[in-house]
Amino acid sequence: MENLLEVKHLSVSFDSPAGEVQAVRNVSFSLKRGEVLAIVGESGCGKSVLCKSIMKLLPASARIKSGSISIAGTDITNYRERDMQKLRGKVFSMIFQDPMTSLNPTIKVGQQIAEAVLVHDKKKTREQVYQRVIELMELVGIEHPKERYQLYPYNFSGGMRQRSVMAIALASNPDILFADEPTTALDVTIQAQILDLLREVQQKLGTAAILVSHDLGVVARAADRVAVMYAGKIVEIGTAEEVYYDPRHPYTWGLMRSLPALSKGKNSLYTIPGMPPTLVDPPKGDAYACRNEYALGIDYEEMPPMFQITDTHYAATWLLDERAPKIIAPVGRKSLGGRKTGSLTTEKASGNEEQNAFPRQKENILSREVLIDVRNLTHQFHLTKKAVIRAVDGVSFQIYKGEIFGLVGESGSGKSTVARCLMNIYQPSAGEVLYRGIPICEKKAFRANRNMLQMRRQMIFQDSASSLNQRMKAADIIAEPMKIHHMTPPRGSCRAEAKFQMKYVGLDESFLDRYPPELSGGQRQRLSIARALAMEPEFLVADEPVASLDVSIQAQVINLFKHLQQEHGFTFLFIAHDLAMVEYLCDRVGVMYHGRLVELAPAEELFSNPLHSYTKTLLSAIPVPDPVRERARKLQVYEEDEVGAGEFVEVLPGHFVLRPYKGGSTDEKA
Amino acid sequence: MRKRNRALYYGKKLLIFLFSVLVLSAVVFYVARLAPGDPLVSYYGDRTEKMSPKEREWAMEKLGLDEPIHVQYVKWMQNAFHGDFGISFKYKRDVVEVIRGRIVNTLLLGGIGFLCIFVGSLLLGVFCAWHEDRWIDRILCKLGTVSSCIPEFWLSLVLILIFAVTLRVLPSSGAYSTGRANDIGDRVRHLILPLAIVTIEHLWYYAYMIRNKLLEEVRADYVLLAKAKGLNKRRILFWHCLRNVLPAYLSIMAIAVPHVLGGTFVVETVFSYPGIGALSYESARYHDYNLLMLLCMMSGILVIFCNMLSQIINEHIDPRIKASEVAETSEVTAA
Repeated sequence: MENLLEVKHLSVSFDSPAGEVQAVRNVSFSLKRGEVLAIVGESGCGKSVLCKSIMKLLPASARIKSGSISIAGTDITNYRERDMQKLRGKVFSMIFQDPMTSLNPTIKVGQQIAEAVLVHDKKKTREQVYQRVIELMELVGIEHPKERYQLYPYNFSGGMRQRSVMAIALASNPDILFADEPTTALDVTIQAQILDLLREVQQKLGTAAILVSHDLGVVARAADRVAVMYAGKIVEIGTAEEVYYDPRHPYTWGLMRSLPALSKGKNSLYTIPGMPPTLVDPPKGDAYACRNEYALGIDYEEMPPMFQITDTHYAATWLLDERAPKIIAPVGRKSLGGRKTGSLTTEKASGNEEQNAFPRQKENILSREVLIDVRNLTHQFHLTKKAVIRAVDGVSFQIYKGEIFGLVGESGSGKSTVARCLMNIYQPSAGEVLYRGIPICEKKAFRANRNMLQMRRQMIFQDSASSLNQRMKAADIIAEPMKIHHMTPPRGSCRAEAKFQMKYVGLDESFLDRYPPELSGGQRQRLSIARALAMEPEFLVADEPVASLDVSIQAQVINLFKHLQQEHGFTFLFIAHDLAMVEYLCDRVGVMYHGRLVELAPAEELFSNPLHSYTKTLLSAIPVPDPVRERARKLQVYEEDEVGAGEFVEVLPGHFVLRPYKGGSTDEKA
Repeated sequence: MRKRNRALYYGKKLLIFLFSVLVLSAVVFYVARLAPGDPLVSYYGDRTEKMSPKEREWAMEKLGLDEPIHVQYVKWMQNAFHGDFGISFKYKRDVVEVIRGRIVNTLLLGGIGFLCIFVGSLLLGVFCAWHEDRWIDRILCKLGTVSSCIPEFWLSLVLILIFAVTLRVLPSSGAYSTGRANDIGDRVRHLILPLAIVTIEHLWYYAYMIRNKLLEEVRADYVLLAKAKGLNKRRILFWHCLRNVLPAYLSIMAIAVPHVLGGTFVVETVFSYPGIGALSYESARYHDYNLLMLLCMMSGILVIFCNMLSQIINEHIDPRIKASEVAETSEVTAA
């Protein structure tokens, strides 16, 4: 097969106030017709820039410094904007990360697709265009296309919008489809559907695709080949089987090991130490050397070349040089299909070093004191004067002292609303919340205990960029709650206290006088943790605290949470949509769906024996970083839109399930 | 059902409109009378000082100022509904007649000025956005900053000096030359300089807004998708971006209408242009209540009307606004 896309020694740079940012450095790869190549790496590694530079969609401050891009043998490196317009949509097109913002809000969805149909074929009649749009909408699985044609994007859900974007991208039958994190902004269940759709459509039309993602687990399902990028370079490229079962680059090992799915049963998640380098002045040798525990002397001196392992598998690490010491890869699995490859062990070898760092108490949580008792909590939002949404509908559960309670569910399931009711941010419409027996939702009781309640409960938010005041120094941010409550800082001055707390969460004290925008996402999240912990809280709520962070940083923050919780013993409500994280961190987990709590059980019990069909769907959607298993896995689709009212039944000790009132249910099996 | 909702929706709008006008008239009526000063001065001039208390009483009664405010207000309302807005104390004529002569002048100046600003700033803003950061855009932006800093009376004087005094191509004052009231060419020549001032003073502000909003839109994600579709720059800018900028622009423009019309005051003074600007000032200063009421009501109705108009237009451009509004109306009727 001829190469459809051929990228040779491509380097792309940005001009920035700090200097030239070398976003893509000397990248070469090729793509065959009908093939899916996944590009994986942390944010800022240049994967997105690489795709956009091929389509020439980069802002004016970016330029291709060297290298060439050719499509089906034609060099397009020096094409002008006018020539590129003819190629875009027809030869290649693109799907973007956030479907909420990538459609024009004021144009009907059908018209936006029609526009893409017309742009490369102006001779089509109105009727033909309409037919084609309907056909495309059917292709991407939008039901009732004729009615939906007339609707605006705000009428569509996230998944539907991403389908519409896909219809736009496919309108002129492009040869190559770039998908830039197409599922990152979507819920787990939708994510799997969109990936399946991508794969299905791609096979049906014979389109080649480049799938960009930060998550190795996600791409295992759809990719034929995988390229791993780090600091602007491709460090390893090979078929999916080769990269997943026989990874050779230490960074690939690190990425694989940071996936929480692989840390099952261990006491802390694996993390890659350190931070990715800045690309303004990239290090001389291997950019990964300083984070690499297997780094050799030469790694700091000279850039490793691409070593060929098989016909399709290449990796850039000095470990593959014949003079290098032989190292047993900490990840990877004995290859499938009878093929044997050498240096492989199972995951177990990696666990040893981290084992039993913090022995987990095995005492029964249910016998502890109840800290928070939520009874029949209901919260309604008034859309208009009459239209009401029940964000939380009759939810009851208890949180025991000193436990980590996980709350999972897709976006809009009401999990954040529950947390906000517990924190007195929202006043629930009905039901009550007892905190140490105090009915905090009653105004009188709340006012009487206001100071105590506000001091003992702290909250950490998802978006650290907007939840920290951009114009306050880190030290002031940490000390502010103490000042509000007129507390004497236990370590003398507020500044000393701030310094202590920052060190405690792993931030350098030189950050004391920095402002939040100067910190990275992970550092900012540590800062919000330090702020919350400075008050020595009894109850801590974290609302999706790691959702906006990179995989390796996520693992660092999660480890920090676990460590701090064990040391402080605070009660912890952890809200997430990432089930693997929840399984690793939490003692008990509640699953929410459309405002109702459908299942509640100890974490191990829930993950090994889910009873509610929604929980099963949710669990089946967790991606596994194993291409063979992942491709074979069938998705379960949860059909029901609404969970009706029911009673919350204790099926097994500590394991509750929402069961409809009368017979004829399909939800139970126990 | 949907049609009924629409009708109800506009009905609701109309009710709000009438209510706003009512409140406005009451407030203006009351506040005007609260201001310190003697309303009789505007009618009787210097004679007022020499009046005996008895004469004063008689004069007050004659002008209808002796009654309590609310009674005066009700009377004024009743008369207003019959088209009688009272007489001007100063000009001793029907106020409608006083205004009639001048409103045409102001509407010519303000109306044409507004149109120039509306169209001009849109074109200029789009033009600058199109040429973002190229030399032409930079020069125009710098020029805009400079011209916004120049006070209008100074600029007026400079223009008069150049075009009327030195070059002698344009007249320096008035709305028409004596005896040529019906000569359109002459009127136009008188209009050019004031119009230029009004336009220059406002144009840049709105052009900037269009430019910056457009550039904000150009960086939105949907533009990237539109580019990836293969659309050209013109289509993206005019079809995709402009429609998202227009709602904000129209809202601003609606507020600008009375601003531009009222802002002609300085220009009218410098050019001795007989318009409403100077008249409003005088009416407030000399407690010419009836005149003041009519002028305030006119500009007030204009503001409210323009705001409503822009809202209705916006709803047609941006379906999200309409959806929430109509939903609300239908919910109310369902209740």
